Amino acid sequence: MILHNVRIAWKSLKRNRSLSVLIVAGIALGIAVSTTFATVRHSFAKDPIPGKSRGGLYYVRMDSWDPARPYPGPDATLPPTQLTYRDMAEIMKSDIPKRQSGTFKTALYVFPEDKTTQPFRENIRLVYSDFFPMFDVPFRYGSGWDKKGDAGPEQVVVLSEAMNDKLFGGGNSVGKTVRISDRDFRVVGVLAHWEPSVKVFDLTQFQIDTPENIYMPFNLLKPMQLRTFGNSDGWGSSGGQTGFDGFLQSETCWIQMWVELPDAASLAKYKDFLAAYVMEQKKHGRFQRPLNNRVSTIREWMKDQRVVPPETTAMLIVSLLFLAVCAVNLVGLLLGKFLARAGEVGVRRALGASRADIFLQHVVECELIGVVGGAIGLLLSFAALAALNAWLKTTVVNPRAAFFHLDVPMVLLSVGLSLAAGLAAGLYPAWRTCRLSPAVHLSLQ
Amino acid sequence: MEFGPIFRSMRRNKVRYGLIVAEVALTLAIVANCVNMIRDYKRQLAIQSGFDDDNIIRVTSRPFAPAFKEDGYLDNSLREDLAALRAIPGVRAVSNTRFLPWQGGGSSMETRVLGSKGEMLRNQVYNADEGTLAALGAKLIEGRNFAREETESETLRMRQIFAKPRPTGADGTPLEKTSQDIIISKAFGQLLFPDGKALGKHLEDTDGDQYTIVGVIDRFYNPYGWPIHEYVMFFPSYSRNFLGGAGYLVRAEPGKRAAVQASIEKALIKANAGRTVQVQELTQIKERFQSRTSLVATILSTLIVLLLFITSLGIVGLTVFSVNERTRQIGTRRALGAQRADIIRYFLLENWIVTTLGLALGIVLAFALNVTLVARVSSPKMEPSLVAAGVFLLWIAGLAATFLPALKGAKVAPAVATRNV
Repeated sequence: MILHNVRIAWKSLKRNRSLSVLIVAGIALGIAVSTTFATVRHSFAKDPIPGKSRGGLYYVRMDSWDPARPYPGPDATLPPTQLTYRDMAEIMKSDIPKRQSGTFKTALYVFPEDKTTQPFRENIRLVYSDFFPMFDVPFRYGSGWDKKGDAGPEQVVVLSEAMNDKLFGGGNSVGKTVRISDRDFRVVGVLAHWEPSVKVFDLTQFQIDTPENIYMPFNLLKPMQLRTFGNSDGWGSSGGQTGFDGFLQSETCWIQMWVELPDAASLAKYKDFLAAYVMEQKKHGRFQRPLNNRVSTIREWMKDQRVVPPETTAMLIVSLLFLAVCAVNLVGLLLGKFLARAGEVGVRRALGASRADIFLQHVVECELIGVVGGAIGLLLSFAALAALNAWLKTTVVNPRAAFFHLDVPMVLLSVGLSLAAGLAAGLYPAWRTCRLSPAVHLSLQ
Repeated sequence: MEFGPIFRSMRRNKVRYGLIVAEVALTLAIVANCVNMIRDYKRQLAIQSGFDDDNIIRVTSRPFAPAFKEDGYLDNSLREDLAALRAIPGVRAVSNTRFLPWQGGGSSMETRVLGSKGEMLRNQVYNADEGTLAALGAKLIEGRNFAREETESETLRMRQIFAKPRPTGADGTPLEKTSQDIIISKAFGQLLFPDGKALGKHLEDTDGDQYTIVGVIDRFYNPYGWPIHEYVMFFPSYSRNFLGGAGYLVRAEPGKRAAVQASIEKALIKANAGRTVQVQELTQIKERFQSRTSLVATILSTLIVLLLFITSLGIVGLTVFSVNERTRQIGTRRALGAQRADIIRYFLLENWIVTTLGLALGIVLAFALNVTLVARVSSPKMEPSLVAAGVFLLWIAGLAATFLPALKGAKVAPAVATRNV
């Protein structure tokens, strides 16, 4: 029965081609626009590490900022986005978290073995060994280093897939040596392809950059006298401290801190621990602002950092209203189309079709329009997203490939919107059509 | 005028007219809000840096050869770089500075008027040499520029002071305060001294180190993460180190930028190898910084055009439908003596009433949508004049979309009325 209705609907669409093209194009445009901008927003907003965003992994902030005024971010109630080195070093001594890691990025020269290749400067992330299991980082060869590697610190590195290709032409490079700055490092692990949707472990800047290609033990900071290449926010007096050691002792905030707390009990315990740490520091004249510690889930941290650009929300709202206009427009066009066929409906009714039959047939026709329009719309939005990805390449220094892409939830959303638009637009015209009195229209034939 | 029949007809066909009302209302709300946002974006894009953006080139030298770890070698290499850059034909000015306009950030510090005990104010801070203002094309409106010897001696003096920890007093700040001459922007001067001249006045920072304002530049705008885009101080110093390398700004004669840019890397590597040199024109950095805003503005403009097209299509469709349905009525009216102009007027009036109802609802919707957008995405407040312009435009569009179908309706022959009755 439905199949029969689909066939009638298809014939009806083919009968008045130019009107059908107009109708389908209208709905396709609405679906294309709304799917595209829903996907754009979703690309920023979605769970970067599925499963980890609701709990377990937490970003740590403490308000060590200037007593005279709040940290100058967009929201004055929030503490600084990063920790000072000395605070990170102290709270890392806690044994409450199952895993924990401070992290920052630097940039150093890498000297390829092949002497004919120019040395190149590469962003390098400093992490503790816990970093890899915490963020579910997948390894192709080898693994991260162990606690001994942290403590040493050993001169070891983990390479991304791309860096392994660049330096060693791919393959299992575990055990090989790579020269970085003025030291030799042993490769202990090579990552499999790893690209969380946003650069979740460092949301302080360039959130849609490709993750760093080289990882090394955090404690190399001091022996190599490394500098951060991320943000560093300072305030207040230097206390006479100068140079590298002065920087480590200063109130400058420049380190990101992550902890893994498996359950509510350990979360509560860790919060108490942080509060006690700050209260203790207050006695020494530091942390003079009100107690304002944050142990945030990835979602909360993403919200505070405004990872979703407000423009994408604005465009999503506008594009959904755009779809609404397309649907309203469709109602008018369908109404005209269906009522123009009153005579034909009259014949069917006179031959015994019930109102329900007529209604169903017209609703099916609307849904067919929705599906065809939706499919074209989906293709259009595929093209639009590809264009946006090409744009990213020209504007972001180091963007990941295909940052904007239609994933399963977005395709389902698109299909759902198409069906809903077809139904919403078709119900009233179908109802009006089935209510036509057969006699009047037959008499006009 | 046929208000009576129109209202009676509208009462009988609530849905059909309701659709146009809804469509017009939504369109007004969306278009007014989009234009409102676009205007805000255009305002942002139009902000001038105050520099000769078109002719400036950014050069970054990043050493990897161990020789560069030595202070003397770095200093020599810096001098040779500046000389090599100046020697390129078509170069107007050269500077060694960490300042890079339009990169969306930089470095900042806190200062206040010396002895004021007032609130510390945050400002951007960069090193500058004798060529920085010329390389930026910034206009000095008061005081003096830094001299080359001054930059050289200040670099050495400050390097010595900061080579080791500074003894501190009871308040935790260094006992011996430093003093430096600085050049600031006019806007920062006005912030510090709302009712006086800034030139010759003194500032202090959070360590109590002191600064004397010796020059003021006309305009400075560098977008920063914090709201200090127009506040800057420059201090005389060269800046280079092994890890960070050295940064230069090169300003070319008008029309010579591309030629200058092409010869920079070779000139610098010839002066000193063992490093990589990155060369980029400022217009590209600026474009990247503004790309998101300009793309969003383009997208919203496209959406407006598509939307107006669809809405007009909807009005045309419904009017055609309405005319077709009333062929016999029109024939009857014509038979009873109505002129073609009367028929056209009837449809135009009908459409005008419907559009106006839609616009009235649309005005409410436009402001409601604006409230949402202001709250959720900090878009600017709606300007009533913009809504008024939208109302006017949609009136015209509505009448234009009605005119052709109405004309067709007017052509119905009076004889039609006699058929099929």
